[in-house]
Amino acid sequence: MNLLDIRNLSIELLSNNKPILAVDRVSLSMKEGEVRGLVGESGSGKSLLAQAIVGVLDDRWKVDADRFHWRGNDLMRLSIEERKKVISKDIAMIFQEPMSCLDPTTTIGEQLEEAVDSEQLSGYFWQKKQQRKLAAAKLLHKVGIKNHELCTKSYPHQLTEALCQRVMIAMALARRPVLLIADEPTAAMETTNKGQIFRLLASLNQLKNMSILLISHDFENVTHWTDTLTVMYSGQFVEAGTTAQIFDKPYHPYTRALVDSSPKANLQLPAKSRLPTLPGSIPILQHLPIGCRLGPRCPQAQQQCVNAPKVKNYHGHQVSCHFSLKGTY
Amino acid sequence: MSALLQVNNLHKFYKLNGYLFNRKTFTALEPLSFDIQAYKTLAIVGETGSGKSTLAKLLVGAEQPNSGTIKLNGQTLQPGNFKQRCQHIRMIFQDSGTTLNPSLTIQQLLDEPLALNTQLDEAARAVLIRETLQKVGLLADHMNFYPHMFSGGQKQRISLARAIILKPQVIILDEALASLDPSLRSQMINLLLDIQQQMGLAFILISHNLGIVRHFSDDIMVLCEGRVIEMGSTAEVLNKPKHKYTKKLIMSQHFQLYHK
Amino acid sequence: MAREKIYQEEEFPSPLMQLWFNFRQKPIIMLGFGCVFFLTMLAIFAPILTPYPSTQNHLNNLLLPPAWNNDGNVSFLLGTDKLGRDMLSRLMHGASFTFGLSFIVVIISSVIGVVIGSLSALTSGIKSSFLNHFLDVVLSIPSLLLAIVIVAILGPGLSNTVWAIVIVLIPQFIHVTRNEVKQEFTKDYVLASRLDGASSLRILRYSIFPNIVEKIISQATLAQSAAILDIAALGFLGLGAPIPMPEWGAMLSDGIDLFYIAPWTVYLPGLAILFSVVATNLVGEGMRHALKLRKDK
Repeated sequence: MNLLDIRNLSIELLSNNKPILAVDRVSLSMKEGEVRGLVGESGSGKSLLAQAIVGVLDDRWKVDADRFHWRGNDLMRLSIEERKKVISKDIAMIFQEPMSCLDPTTTIGEQLEEAVDSEQLSGYFWQKKQQRKLAAAKLLHKVGIKNHELCTKSYPHQLTEALCQRVMIAMALARRPVLLIADEPTAAMETTNKGQIFRLLASLNQLKNMSILLISHDFENVTHWTDTLTVMYSGQFVEAGTTAQIFDKPYHPYTRALVDSSPKANLQLPAKSRLPTLPGSIPILQHLPIGCRLGPRCPQAQQQCVNAPKVKNYHGHQVSCHFSLKGTY
Repeated sequence: MSALLQVNNLHKFYKLNGYLFNRKTFTALEPLSFDIQAYKTLAIVGETGSGKSTLAKLLVGAEQPNSGTIKLNGQTLQPGNFKQRCQHIRMIFQDSGTTLNPSLTIQQLLDEPLALNTQLDEAARAVLIRETLQKVGLLADHMNFYPHMFSGGQKQRISLARAIILKPQVIILDEALASLDPSLRSQMINLLLDIQQQMGLAFILISHNLGIVRHFSDDIMVLCEGRVIEMGSTAEVLNKPKHKYTKKLIMSQHFQLYHK
Repeated sequence: MAREKIYQEEEFPSPLMQLWFNFRQKPIIMLGFGCVFFLTMLAIFAPILTPYPSTQNHLNNLLLPPAWNNDGNVSFLLGTDKLGRDMLSRLMHGASFTFGLSFIVVIISSVIGVVIGSLSALTSGIKSSFLNHFLDVVLSIPSLLLAIVIVAILGPGLSNTVWAIVIVLIPQFIHVTRNEVKQEFTKDYVLASRLDGASSLRILRYSIFPNIVEKIISQATLAQSAAILDIAALGFLGLGAPIPMPEWGAMLSDGIDLFYIAPWTVYLPGLAILFSVVATNLVGEGMRHALKLRKDK
């Protein structure tokens, strides 16, 4: 059974001139224990999608979907409070710059103790404080921080970004979520530390069978650590499938361009030769093309592309294009 | 071919405050030397704090070395003499948001280096600005726009235009490609390769993305805490690393260089 | 080569024009701006526009109430004071004293403050600290008290009060300028200009000042409302303008003795002071709001 099943989710920005469709009919599904990557450049709406799933968008945005199921429950039919209750019990999220996500005026220990789930503490009320401390220390051990004494006494600015991200993951684990959404967790870190965080996420996935939705624009990193991928461009769904399928045989021209731009695929190219690219740049929100939004840049665009393409499924490899590259393989 | 840029024993240290009698110093860069030829790219890699930005600042003249010389075409560049240096060595910065003055139009922005360093009159300057903008792939109409109207990739192109407008011989790219999206990064790399061929430039690329480095550079220099760990041609160093720090660096990005 | 799109149908204004558009969005701010404009025009053209000369005594019409009162006379629209001088003309002429002088005071102190602040930001170490803080002693004394002290030393008179208030207002400009210039120096485009060989003066003029001038102006509006109140207060205490001059604070102190018989001689100048301070504050508030909107975009 699918853990998360979203079909045709659209997010509309209600502005004064006319509503802008920031995310246009994107489908996403996740199974238990799966690590899925959500790839897209800036302006692709991936962060918006994550925030819509967790339910933290403000009133400017209108979210609409054909199907939005979580573990079989239809979330669209619940009221907002009930939806939030269901989601906050099972889904956790970590963000991009961990040091600025932590409260700079309190110690890590206090923030962790605040995040500990009080329902999991048993005992009389005078024992709760001690149990909370113990639970916080256990959480830190789970993310690989052995020296929890020093960590709990320090303030966020005294730690490195990688350590802060581990603390954020510890706080996210406090309620034992089933799905962890990681919104560009390593964007602000150095490369050696990036590997640590990804290894931690991978180990959590294997040990606890926790699903992870990894959002990133760093194509190379994401392809190494994920099982399946979903690619988005400018708010539209482009391609989805297993990582091996997408990397070896990208069906959509945009995915092909992304794969070509990563150095892994360019090992065969001689050094200092031109890289294959798509011309033009990403459209801005005010001037989105109609139909398939890659149209102006796509080398294979024809007149049919002013209509948005439908999603076609080839053995689990879904692509949304009128002229997919399937025939060339 | 004689070297375009020769650096000899460049050394930089900072005196730490608060030690009145002990005079402790913090060595940002141990004495190092290297050469660059025209049409070639040297990549400098290392983690944060390894001294790459210090080296960039020393080369471009923003800071002065405590000892050592930098020679361009055989002529020693004097520290502090910006006018002599800026015609030959230019720099592109990392953060495209703060690299362009938000209150000036592009024309005024590109006019400034010309007005300060050349004797061209206004009409000739406008013609040169138009040509340079076309070379980097922007339109001449963009001269009258303000920086906030451009996207990140376009801002980096404008920085590139500002760098090449004085027809320099060396351009330093201080992590200029790090903040760009992958497709824009490829476009920028193609643009840089074209311009290198057209103008015979030497590039110094400071980056920590080894994939780009492998594709774009001829030679590579690995820095760690101010010391040169390894230096040589890219193919050699990346395929057969000798020092364990280089090996560690490659392993942490190993999935970028080898097939899964 | 890749072709970048240009959208001809949209307007792409300069940062200054953007500020103006944001400024125009709130009607009440535009009302304040209109009032300030009106007061400025009044301050410049008052001697021409007043119906009667402000020092002319009409001994037949002492203490006439304003025209809407039963005893009032429409030829003296706002009544007369105890010496028979027309209130309307005095108020209009007073605008050029209280409001106009405050304007001049703010301009002088801002110029001096910006110059010292820039010098302080360009140097470093002890010289910079000295320049930054040597006028801080002025901040520690209440402005009115300092003005009284200076006037007591130099003697009463309008020009001496101007100097007193100028000195009081300078330190805030020094601090604001120094902080802003120091912040601008950390930006990359200033480094790029320096590497191009620009002298410090040129960097200040072309790269830095266009970006900080808006902050200085919003600081200047704050200073102006303080200056209006200070000039009026000094006039009220008799330390400012000499007696026949129709400065609003002096008019207030004149009318206090006769408050129960002729309240309009007190409340009319008071309302005028209130009006100009509120208008100035509205403009300042609007400018800060517009700056914040522009930064958030």
